[in-house]
Amino acid sequence: MTSLTARSAGWRRPLAYLGGAVLLLGGLIVLLPDRIGAFPPEWDIGFGPAVNEVQQWWISNRRDLGVYLYFFDPLSDAIDWLLRAFENLLMAIPWYVHVAGVGVVFGRWLGRAGGLAAGAGMLYFVALGLWEQSVQTFSLMTVAVALAVAIGVPVGIWAARNDWVYRGLRPVLDSMQTLPAFVYLIPVLLFFGVARVPSLIATVIYALPPVIRLTNLGIRQVPTESLEAGVMFGSTSGQLLRKVQLPQAVPSILAGVNQTIMMALSIVVIAAMIGAGGLGQEVLLALRHQEVGRAVEAGMAIVLMAVMLDRFSHSLVGQGRMGGAHHTEGLRYRYWWVAGGVLAALAIAGWTIGWTDYPTALQFSYAAPIDGAVDWARDNLYQLGNLPVGTGPFSDFLTTYGTRPMRLYLSEEAWPVVVLFFGFVAWWASGKKLLLGSVVGTVVIGLLGMWTLTMDTLSQTVVAVLMAIVIGLPLGVAASRRDWLERGMRPVLDTLQTIPSFCFLVPVVILFNVGRIPGIIASVLYAIPPVIRLTNLGIRSVDSEIVEASESFGVTRRQKLWKIQLPLAMPTVLAGINQTVMLVLAMVVIAGLVGGAGLGLEAVKGLARSDTGLGFEAGASIVILAMILDRITQGWAARFQPPSSEGE
Amino acid sequence: MSKRSAFKASLLLAAFSLVLAACGDDLGDVETIKLAVNPWDGSAVNIAVAAAVLEGEGYTVERVEIDENAQWAAIAAGDLHASLEVWPSGHADNVASYIDGGGGVVNGGELGAVGKIGWWIPTYVVDQNPAAGTWQGLQDPATAQVYATAETGDKGQFLIGDPSWVSYEQDIIDNLGLHLEVAYAGSEEALLAAMDSATSRGDPLLFYWWTPHSAFSKFDLTAFELPAYSDECYASGAVDCDYPDDVLFKIMWDGLEEGAPTAFTILSNFSYTNEDQIFMLGQLDAGLSVDEAAAAWMDANESVWQAWIPG
Repeated sequence: MTSLTARSAGWRRPLAYLGGAVLLLGGLIVLLPDRIGAFPPEWDIGFGPAVNEVQQWWISNRRDLGVYLYFFDPLSDAIDWLLRAFENLLMAIPWYVHVAGVGVVFGRWLGRAGGLAAGAGMLYFVALGLWEQSVQTFSLMTVAVALAVAIGVPVGIWAARNDWVYRGLRPVLDSMQTLPAFVYLIPVLLFFGVARVPSLIATVIYALPPVIRLTNLGIRQVPTESLEAGVMFGSTSGQLLRKVQLPQAVPSILAGVNQTIMMALSIVVIAAMIGAGGLGQEVLLALRHQEVGRAVEAGMAIVLMAVMLDRFSHSLVGQGRMGGAHHTEGLRYRYWWVAGGVLAALAIAGWTIGWTDYPTALQFSYAAPIDGAVDWARDNLYQLGNLPVGTGPFSDFLTTYGTRPMRLYLSEEAWPVVVLFFGFVAWWASGKKLLLGSVVGTVVIGLLGMWTLTMDTLSQTVVAVLMAIVIGLPLGVAASRRDWLERGMRPVLDTLQTIPSFCFLVPVVILFNVGRIPGIIASVLYAIPPVIRLTNLGIRSVDSEIVEASESFGVTRRQKLWKIQLPLAMPTVLAGINQTVMLVLAMVVIAGLVGGAGLGLEAVKGLARSDTGLGFEAGASIVILAMILDRITQGWAARFQPPSSEGE
Repeated sequence: MSKRSAFKASLLLAAFSLVLAACGDDLGDVETIKLAVNPWDGSAVNIAVAAAVLEGEGYTVERVEIDENAQWAAIAAGDLHASLEVWPSGHADNVASYIDGGGGVVNGGELGAVGKIGWWIPTYVVDQNPAAGTWQGLQDPATAQVYATAETGDKGQFLIGDPSWVSYEQDIIDNLGLHLEVAYAGSEEALLAAMDSATSRGDPLLFYWWTPHSAFSKFDLTAFELPAYSDECYASGAVDCDYPDDVLFKIMWDGLEEGAPTAFTILSNFSYTNEDQIFMLGQLDAGLSVDEAAAAWMDANESVWQAWIPG
């Protein structure tokens, strides 16, 4: 129980800081002259114009530049050729061979049920008439992930062996993950041409960080004992890497690959804007005709692909560890030989009789009921009679009492107050270094000329995160008490995180009116899973002895939750909130597409007007905001870490 | 054509082109013409017609779905060869840097179809309140209030979609003294969804839109009355009148004339009227694919597209 009392003291100290912050703010507001408002626009020293000049120069001179003629151009041709060859190869194999083949592989690794489920998954792509699109997206993903691994693993190793490299890389990786892909679509296009290649490059940029991070982490976590043992036997540094460090880091690297796959799949739709085609294009086409059902069909295909690749990479980890534990070598190979032979025979049979396409008569679609549901929601949920109940009044309420006043306050209040407030929160959360970082960061945002827009985005982010916590926390608590609820929620949460948010674009506008609220709703849908998951996890992993001890003292259920489970789960819950904040910021651009002004709309403008400089300024502000909020929430989470695990 | 048969066809074509190259043909060095399909149906039918004509002359055509702004860089690089429906009002910056600035794109002439941007409202709004459909009416704060939302407070909301749609809304509103505030829906899709939502309840909505567009077949819309367009009004720099007609035009890669002279001539001559395009858009609404719609139009108008092909 000592740790509990220590923590309640830990609660009190931050409260004192918060009180101090409020007092300081109040004082500043009174003392500062009225004329200091938003960040002065004449201090705008943004780099936008410079970026545009470089872009303009590149456009006019590109065709005479050696680096373009002998590097980018051939590179882009080679990648294009590779992708097309892969697509054509996959398309040439009859559909039922794919279905059976995937079933056989999964069946071997995950049992009969797994194999059947995977086969059924493959059938989804063909039966909904999405086969060609799925193949396109799949080849792009595969090549993108392969490239990310080929680049990421060596860089990760380098970072693990050199602290300076690691320190230099961290902000770069953070930026790659938080900079909206919209910002670099045009530059990528300028360097790599059109269609498949730029989409691939954009995907690699976005999806690369996890491999690097987790390779680095995996190697750094190799116990020093194993290294010392290696050194004792006279291993060279290269041998040490190959024989000791890398093998032990494999699980971590594979976890990174897994995350990379998920990230890559999450920008399928954005990549389609520069010609990636595939399932992303299908979603965009459906949106153009306001066909929500069709967009969901293609979106679910992306979810399915993500789930299957996820299971596949997980079972790769399993295979790597267990090897042929259950079977003798001979049996193991015979299975693959037989399966391969049967599949090849099937394929040849298909080619000879010319039956390779899925029969159109057997196609099906569930778009109509979904479209019907959207219309029903529009007619029935917007407002109940004349009562102030429904999505429309809710949206108005949130605008009038939430986003609007907060935005006006933040963007009209004297800017030094806001900077200092940020600094104070940062100091409270983590200390002097972060105080300095956040003050510099916010001032830089001002100097980029993005002050008002950033405050707009910040107010939307705060409202979205609060909503996610208010809804997610109780759901997480509920899930921690009932196993069936936890099991039932899992596929829903997986779907929410992987289905392209573009699929909800139309329904959120129909239900919540154009403006800042539909973007917030879409962000909450996307960003809520970590709060639910980690609240559930945090409460479930509270030491059962402590809970039992408290029960023997006769505490009520409510007391148990508030006094014991939640406080002890706090570090995990806060880690979830940290992830939610990051995910909300990742949605800023999507919010821009449904009327959520601020940095998101500015980034969209950058793409829409080929104003790359503007896009980069908005993007840089998003990155800075994300880093500050990330470090603050992380620092906050660390405060609640029990002393034992923190080593204080 | 499915991917697979496209692959086989391109193999066949590669074999043929070896033979043809020996004979010396007038197609040019560039035998695969890459056309930009922008995300709206008008663009898709233009490209379908162009593709059919070019394929008839022996070219291979590859269609690339791409954002209308992103396409400029790609055409400048020769990664794409042409785009057939550019709305001048939205692309002043691109024209300046890619065409006038020698950035690798050439103006390919007019498409023939003419667009018109304007302010629109659902017809029931004027039926109930005629003043809400004219600019004089919205000088009165009480009338403008009809369009107010939680976001705009006591002013009316004027909704525009994609930020790339270059607009004079703020000028028009300021110079005419209208009690309106401009809000961005962020995208064409979101603006369409907003129309769907508002019209389902009979709520007022004032927004930026254009003809020709398939939305007119779905919603009953009326043009909002602005002062008529004049050249002086736009020349003065203080815009306070309606939009001009948008004469749609084509853009091409500056290497196309040399690389594929026949294709260049066909695409330069490519031209038809609003009615032609609307006919094909109607076919799409009737459930035909873009290529079927293009074929239907080509069957009925052979003399039009035959005239594009150099003799």
